[in-house]
Amino acid sequence: MPKRKGLVRLQLSAALAIWAASWGSPAAQAEEALNICHGGHPIMVASQKILDKWAKKENVKLTTTLIAYDVYVPKVTQMLTTGSAQCDIIWHNDDWGQLWQQYLVTTDDVAGIGNVATQPLDAFWNDQHKLTVVPMAHTIGTFFYRKDLISDAEVPKTFTDIVQIGQKLQKEGKVKWGYVGGMSFNNTWFTLWWTMWNNGCDIFKPIYERDNKVLAANGWTSIIDQPCHQQIVDFWWDALHKDRIAPEATTTYGRNEANAIFMAGDAAMTVADSTFWGDYNDKNKSRVAGNIGMAPYPVGPGRSKPITWLDIWGWAIPKSVSPGHQALAKKLLGETLTDEDGQLQMWNETGGPPPNVKIWDRLTASDPVFRKLKEVVFDQDHAHAAYYFANWPKVHKAYSDAVIKALTGKREDIPGVLKEGAKSVHDAAVAQ
Amino acid sequence: MAKTHPAVSNGVAPRTAPDQPNAEPRLGEKERFMLLLIAPAGIVLVLFQIVPIIFGANASFRDWQLFNPAQTWVGLKHYLYILSDSTFLTVVLPNTFLLMFLSVTLSLIGGLALAHYLHRNFAGQWLMQTIILLPQMIAPVIGAMMMRWVFNDQFGVVAAFLDWVGFGPISWLAQRWPSFFIVIFTDVWIWTPWFALILLAGLRSLPREPFEAAQIDAAGAWRTFTHLTLPMLRPVIAVCVLIRSIDAFRTFDVVWILTGGGPARSTEVFSIYTYIETFVNLDFGRGSAAAIIGALIILAVAGAMYKVAGRVTDVSR
Repeated sequence: MPKRKGLVRLQLSAALAIWAASWGSPAAQAEEALNICHGGHPIMVASQKILDKWAKKENVKLTTTLIAYDVYVPKVTQMLTTGSAQCDIIWHNDDWGQLWQQYLVTTDDVAGIGNVATQPLDAFWNDQHKLTVVPMAHTIGTFFYRKDLISDAEVPKTFTDIVQIGQKLQKEGKVKWGYVGGMSFNNTWFTLWWTMWNNGCDIFKPIYERDNKVLAANGWTSIIDQPCHQQIVDFWWDALHKDRIAPEATTTYGRNEANAIFMAGDAAMTVADSTFWGDYNDKNKSRVAGNIGMAPYPVGPGRSKPITWLDIWGWAIPKSVSPGHQALAKKLLGETLTDEDGQLQMWNETGGPPPNVKIWDRLTASDPVFRKLKEVVFDQDHAHAAYYFANWPKVHKAYSDAVIKALTGKREDIPGVLKEGAKSVHDAAVAQ
Repeated sequence: MAKTHPAVSNGVAPRTAPDQPNAEPRLGEKERFMLLLIAPAGIVLVLFQIVPIIFGANASFRDWQLFNPAQTWVGLKHYLYILSDSTFLTVVLPNTFLLMFLSVTLSLIGGLALAHYLHRNFAGQWLMQTIILLPQMIAPVIGAMMMRWVFNDQFGVVAAFLDWVGFGPISWLAQRWPSFFIVIFTDVWIWTPWFALILLAGLRSLPREPFEAAQIDAAGAWRTFTHLTLPMLRPVIAVCVLIRSIDAFRTFDVVWILTGGGPARSTEVFSIYTYIETFVNLDFGRGSAAAIIGALIILAVAGAMYKVAGRVTDVSR
């Protein structure tokens, strides 16, 4: 027995000695490793491919940790606030721009950062007015329609046009529904919000304002009970229950349900992220492939010119990462941002518009899809798709609950429900 | 009965080891071995149950936003907020108890019927048993996803059937009670096989003699069921109901996937309320307080049910 114990100890010591030797050897130190944490979206994967290309040149090994979208914000927030160095590079989004700004490394000095659009960066400045993101791709909501059913002259310009064209196509038996889009919580953009902004309205006053100081000076007053907002709730109530151009169950639809209906050829119009262009035109997935058109947003009575949101997804570097890894991550992200061919490849593979605006001219000249996207989105007026303060998730939920309550109730109850909702939204904004 | 050290029983403290090299250790070899065996489970329990509960309880008294963990002591502020929140009192709690009551009752009735059906010899019994158990073999998240599409107003089989019989599609998830019906239906669909399986085991363990006597006395099937089977199965039923009720109180996956607590919070149950506070609003303090309140409620409910179950079991002996 003692002999066996001695043998085990000897083996353990040998293993430890080998491990210790390998730890300090030049071979082990030659390759640095950076871990990227993201949500697994095709755009993130494509962007990571560009990163990987440059990482290989720098003799850096990239590893990936995928985090489910539903738990991404709590998980990464917890990681940042506890100073964990688990992720060297994280996926970042304008919705969380202000939530995390104090925990992220500044990125003003990243190569190529001067070549990105500035308006989408509004969400990512820290308290010292330094940038905390490196853009990966633009995320833009786009109005899609069926080219085979709606001629250029018929493309809707107003909310009323949507109803008229939708009903006409329904009566002719060409589609089951005129319009379809996500509306349940976290899908608010694809029905309620694009119409809200295109009716000259917003959640808080002043409209389209995103400066927290100005919003605070106005008492975080919600205007969802004001006429401009009530008009859009009335519009959607009628669309679901009276005009019936959209399914009644729209209030429960996420992107999957809405896309399934549109791609099955059952609806004539939808609003979705531009990145769905590829899916809509994929013959293996979509019955309407090859018949998709893009157009500027139709407007409501409160606005004469279309307005769209224009934001970005990006990469960020946690402060908790070692200075060596921070520098390496910045270098790789800079190389990614200046890699025009890599970004063109990302656009071709995913439909994610490149962050480097220098490429846009090349794309406009050579790619008709990008040219159209630029016309209907980039060349229009722009709003932001979210508010940038810590209580934003709470506000979004309170807004969604209030409006869906109004849309699933009686029409005459809408003003009362919205009044109650305006208070909930205000309370969510100022909650401590 | 614990062993008493002879010295202690005489009122004299035992002497220390140096004076008594052969003194009997406090725990015998058998006890130490037993402790060693349960140690892994004990450590897991402490690390993953007790410690998180202590952390959670601590967080519930603090201002603990996930993005700004100041952790300032706020006393009972979160508890007072939740206990005066009209949504919690008038929607969340009633929904939770309604779901618990209806799901357990309907699953029990269905499980009892299935157990009876399977407690007979017929061709293909094993196949039928496997088919009936299928919902229990599917993860509740997947089951709920399937049901969401089954009841989808555009592509669901239910919509297609209703369309075929001339009713037109129903927007099940767009209104409170139809949504709640689907939640209960799904939960019952998942859990009925569990009741069936356990009750079938109970049925198979019952003595044959009372049933033979009932047959000789020409008792009908219903009378035999109500006067023999049910009373003899009471202990099994009581334990099933107790376990499943506690489980139903904390149902999350099915409700979250099917309705997310909507429309407009109308199908929100206790676990969804806690999740939204914690992981949507990122308020760990309030979320923890909600979880503690829920734990206290279910502790009280389970305590009462445990007593009832104990009485039922005693009476049946």
